[in-house]
Amino acid sequence: MAGQSELDRWIEQLKRCEPLKENEVKILCQKALEVLVEESNVQRVDAPVTVCGDIHGQFYDLMELFQVGGDCPQTNYLFMGDFVDRGFYSVETFLLLLALKVRYPDRITLIRGNHESRQITQVYGFYDECLRKYGSVNVWRYCTDVFDYLSLSAVVDNQIFCVHGGLSPTINTLDQIRTIDRKQEVPHDGAMCDLLWSDPEDIEGWGLSPRGAGYLFGGDVCSNFSSNNKISLICRAHQLVMDGYKWMFHDQLVTVWSAPNYCYRCGNIAAILELDEHLNKNFKVFEAAPQEARGAQSKRAAPDYFL
Amino acid sequence: MANNAGDDQYLPIAILIDELKNDDALRRLNSIQRLGTIALALGEERTRSELLPFLIENNDDEDEVLLAMSEELGKFVPYVGGPSFGHTLLQPLEQLSQVEETVVRDKAVESLCKVAEQLPNSSIGEHFLPLIKRLSQGEWFTSRVSACGLFAVAYTRSTAAQQTELRQLYTQLCHDETPMVRRAAAQKLGPFAAVLDRDAVSRDLLPLFTDLTSDDQDSVRLLAVESCGAFAAALSKDDCSASLLPVVQKFAQDKSWRVRYNVAAQMVPLCEALGPEMTRAELVPAYIRLLEDSEAEVRIAAAGKVSAFSRMLTPPLIVSQVVPRVKELANDSSQFVRAALAGVVMELAPQLGKQPTIEHLVPVFLNLLRDPYPDVRLNVISKLDQVNQVIGIELLAQSLLPAIEELAEDKHWRVRLAILEHIPLLANQLGAEFFQEKLGPQCMRWLEDQVASIREAATKTLQKIAQEFGPEWAKEHLVPQVLGMIKNPHYLYRMTVLVAISSLASFVSQEVFVSSMLPVLVSCAKDRVPNVKFNVAKVLERVAPLVDASVVSQTIKPCLAELSEDGDADVQFYARQALYACDNIQMQ
Repeated sequence: MAGQSELDRWIEQLKRCEPLKENEVKILCQKALEVLVEESNVQRVDAPVTVCGDIHGQFYDLMELFQVGGDCPQTNYLFMGDFVDRGFYSVETFLLLLALKVRYPDRITLIRGNHESRQITQVYGFYDECLRKYGSVNVWRYCTDVFDYLSLSAVVDNQIFCVHGGLSPTINTLDQIRTIDRKQEVPHDGAMCDLLWSDPEDIEGWGLSPRGAGYLFGGDVCSNFSSNNKISLICRAHQLVMDGYKWMFHDQLVTVWSAPNYCYRCGNIAAILELDEHLNKNFKVFEAAPQEARGAQSKRAAPDYFL
Repeated sequence: MANNAGDDQYLPIAILIDELKNDDALRRLNSIQRLGTIALALGEERTRSELLPFLIENNDDEDEVLLAMSEELGKFVPYVGGPSFGHTLLQPLEQLSQVEETVVRDKAVESLCKVAEQLPNSSIGEHFLPLIKRLSQGEWFTSRVSACGLFAVAYTRSTAAQQTELRQLYTQLCHDETPMVRRAAAQKLGPFAAVLDRDAVSRDLLPLFTDLTSDDQDSVRLLAVESCGAFAAALSKDDCSASLLPVVQKFAQDKSWRVRYNVAAQMVPLCEALGPEMTRAELVPAYIRLLEDSEAEVRIAAAGKVSAFSRMLTPPLIVSQVVPRVKELANDSSQFVRAALAGVVMELAPQLGKQPTIEHLVPVFLNLLRDPYPDVRLNVISKLDQVNQVIGIELLAQSLLPAIEELAEDKHWRVRLAILEHIPLLANQLGAEFFQEKLGPQCMRWLEDQVASIREAATKTLQKIAQEFGPEWAKEHLVPQVLGMIKNPHYLYRMTVLVAISSLASFVSQEVFVSSMLPVLVSCAKDRVPNVKFNVAKVLERVAPLVDASVVSQTIKPCLAELSEDGDADVQFYARQALYACDNIQMQ
């Protein structure tokens, strides 16, 4: 099993954007399962903590995030899923976050996003990236097995409910979330699916989601859920917002998005939500890492048919 | 089982060989990438008689597999029995150099060159030259494109008669009806010129070069531009000024901006090849025109070469010709032009000397420092030291200090960081009093910056300032201000104070440390946030070697002992690690 010095070495290596060897990934993932299996579906997190949204394999922008927010373990972090897919470095991104989780389980919390799924990663890039970087799908298998153990949500100081997507018509209380058997591939419907797929919308009650999974939920649904569960704020990710964060429903819900210039082309800025020990909220916005900070690989000149 | 031990040894090889024929492309790829291992196991003779024929027959595979095969075969000479058998590799590589996919062909050509370098001269004449001839006259353009890359390696190893034939073949390729072939010929013309003697270059290749430079297709002209530098090196000075210069001057006004862009990009190697005199006399107008080009892309490429180009010029020439354009470019409508200029313009200062820099360049710097686009400001700041060396810090401070004070609060954190990193240099030059007046309060504000990296860099800067101005000054101007920030209600800012204490500890007297800083550390051990507590442990570990053993045993160790019983696992971990380190100090 991996000792702390070995984990520290892996973390240093991953911070340079160098992936681990296949057998090291296997060990790391086994260790991660032992840590994650102990966590609740509604993981309790103490303030102070910095809450982050989608990362999507944008490794160098994650480094930018740490430069702005502070390194882990100095700063406590809660990542609300969608670590992989779309960006160039899903492998390095997810393994770094996972290594930090195993090394500092009390300093960093990872919850599941809709992209932490076997089906989705086969379409949006993580599967192909593993195949390309390792020549086999073993690393993808180890990682997707870890996905099944990631918690579904978190609650900070019993007041701020954090989830990747949103609410579900079949869920009224946090206790109902706690009873879900989460250790499975994300289902196509039902409570677990909705938590990872739903979106808030300016409607009343529930609506059909254009995504084909999860639901749209209105301000009244949000208010009821919050008062039922004595929650002061719902914090979620899942949707690109150009300013990095967006308040809705009279400040009862906020979307946080942490992938600047999403897909290297959307032109958005990113944000993280810093909650101090008194639950004061402070958004920090940041831009994509500049070209010099992106290492040699992405400096490749465009092929000349682009000229 | 014991009997099978021998077979087991070969089992992986058998699997690799089997997988060469596997239906799954990924498995074939995996096997091809270990082709060397397979060849080693088969031995030289079977590699020649079985493996190569197999590869020749099975060349209708996925591009990725063919690419790997092209690459591996380039390293194969030792596996087929050394250079005298190297020619056996030519047939499979020749096939690969004709496929449709460009990357496979390019790799095959690269490998063909590698193999050719190792062939004996007899094989070159007997096998390699016929191959070049076949490819050059191939029906399909892919083979003719590949042929262009093979001339340079074969030429010096051929007889005079063969060389004549090679030059004729190349002439045909340069006039090929397919633009793709002419492109390849234009691209490889430079390397080919490098191996010909001067006479042959000027007699045979220069006319070809001239033809390619007036090609209808701008993509061909574009690649001909890239050969200019190599060509200039292969020609005599006279030929250069008679034949090459007009071409370059014509290119600099080409109707296609991509060609002009390439001229701008190639300007410096070209000038180096032509020498300073010809540059000054002939190329300055062409370069100036590129700086004034109507396409921003061209101006970006040209602006980025301002200082490298000016190195070929004299200071008066720079002032009269280049500086006026630089002043215009500093107000260019494209931010990317301004950013490219900002990245290099400071390098002009050492070339111009003090007075002209003050007169002509400082206004440009100030202008660029106020640019609305952060990359422009950042590029200027990161080269400040170059100007400093020329005009001296006093003048720099006088003219730039107001701009620096403004940038210290820039909304882009990398700009703030760049300024912060120059603060120790300024401190050294400004002296304690002036520094404290102008920049002291700003340094403290950086400790409470919103961005973690700025706070961290600020602690390092404070350390350097303390080192510069000495412990007495630090005691008065740094320590109280830093310690005052420990009351911050936000844990991240309290932790910055801890890091600052740790940075300053070795630059204040032990008395100051023990009487004012250590008590703050000890009180933070009771903080409500675990992160603060484990940082106390880390800092205590770092400062323990700096203080008397009695302080370690009476204050530091009891504090750590309490932390090591904390409910938080990380606090425990770092406290125990620190305690262990303290025990080690005491044992020594």
